Amino acid sequence: MRLELHEVHVSDIQWGERTEVVDHVLRVNREEAAAALAGEDRFASVRLDLARPGESVRIIPVKDVVEPRVKLKGGRGYFPGFFAPPETAGEGVTLVLKGAAVVTCGPIVAFQEGFIDMSGTGADYTPFSKTNNLVLTVEPVEGLGKHAYEEALRLAGLKLALYLAEACREAKPDEIRVFEKGSITEENEKYPDLPRILYICMAITQGLLHDTFLYAADMKTVLPTLLHPNEVLDGALVSGNCVSACDKNTTYHHVNNPVVEALYRRHGKDLNFLGVVPTVEDVRLAGKERASSMNAALAKNLGAHGVIVTEEGYGNPDTDLCLNAKKCENLGIRTVVISDEAAGTDGASQSLADATPEMSAFVSSGNVNEMIEVPPMQTVLGHPEAIANLSGGAAESLRPDGSMFVELQAVIGSTCELGFSRIGCEWI
Amino acid sequence: MTREIEKAAGIPVVQIATIVPIMLTVGSNRIVPGVAIPHPVGDPAKGPEADKKVRRELLLKALEAMTTPISEQTLFERK
Repeated sequence: MRLELHEVHVSDIQWGERTEVVDHVLRVNREEAAAALAGEDRFASVRLDLARPGESVRIIPVKDVVEPRVKLKGGRGYFPGFFAPPETAGEGVTLVLKGAAVVTCGPIVAFQEGFIDMSGTGADYTPFSKTNNLVLTVEPVEGLGKHAYEEALRLAGLKLALYLAEACREAKPDEIRVFEKGSITEENEKYPDLPRILYICMAITQGLLHDTFLYAADMKTVLPTLLHPNEVLDGALVSGNCVSACDKNTTYHHVNNPVVEALYRRHGKDLNFLGVVPTVEDVRLAGKERASSMNAALAKNLGAHGVIVTEEGYGNPDTDLCLNAKKCENLGIRTVVISDEAAGTDGASQSLADATPEMSAFVSSGNVNEMIEVPPMQTVLGHPEAIANLSGGAAESLRPDGSMFVELQAVIGSTCELGFSRIGCEWI
Repeated sequence: MTREIEKAAGIPVVQIATIVPIMLTVGSNRIVPGVAIPHPVGDPAKGPEADKKVRRELLLKALEAMTTPISEQTLFERK
């Protein structure tokens, strides 16, 4: 399977006569972009704004972030099952507007979205302060249920990202990245002596607006399965999560999964990358037991020597993390987990809700309870009062001058458990 | 909270929650496994009558757990 990502570098975003990339500036025809969402009758109003790196802009509450992409060869549309036929992703050529993002924003109140600051202290903690953002804020029609609102906003974000990329499909790529790997049998023959590594990617699949989609299938009804890494890098996974912002994987994260990319870089050199198993975080203990058993059995049957597990979220998924590590280790497979910690504001509390001695290799992506102070921003896109409803925020978090004192978990992507951040022990 | 009430007030506590490994990790003593994280003490998808039956069974199991002498962390499972 061969995937070419044709990346057009975007270093600025502006309104323009037509939607195109000129000299690395993404110009957006505002009316045409809004018209791309015209078929959605669940919105009372749609508003588009721009947010650029370094600007005094706060976006709140953020639901999802989507990278503009479209298929040039080997398929049409993008996000199979949503805006492309539900066929295997990961083959052919995909255009990527690298450095641009669609940010969806809307008052799905009492649920747990986060915020993005484009400058100041908060900007250091989120990757989306470095992207040139087209921000979509919508008001739902009166009486729209929250699940319908979530779905409408999720689809609108994907659609808008697809619109941008589609309009720029003639743009000349600045960089072409190739991801090519054969079947597991072929690669095993090529690299018989390299350790075989499987990546288990946990996804929040808990209902009540905490969902992830695999080829548009609601994953809470999906059993663990094996994907070629190209599928993940080419839109097979879509976020539908309204959950604590710091460690939810947005749709942008999925297609840029750094664990997948890092394992790919080392494939054929010092390891043999078997593939990716997207797996669930069930709301029932039996579901957690079933999924972790299937994950471990998949790893064993694929002949994995090592497994990397990434968590999404925290709290009860810590048990899924423990079970995945425990069951793989008990089958003799070395297992490393990547997770963040909820260790309290002083960092002194137990980091995970659950623990098991088999989970002996742990990479931490930060403490979600760490407090940060963020300065006021000149412009606030969205709904600033939403901070009271965010995980890591409270009504008193928003001060009269517009500054905020909040836990890190209110910042989108700040402790991303895929490692998609610059957070570390000493600096970010 | 479960441990502190037991320690400070000496009142036996039964914890009904879904993810048993977490209760074992945090040191709960009398454990009744609940149904699911969004609805630990009922099963609304089964309809009102079956839901009520589940709720009653869980409560009775919890009362049984509370009045049973134990010497270590103990699971009281609903049949």
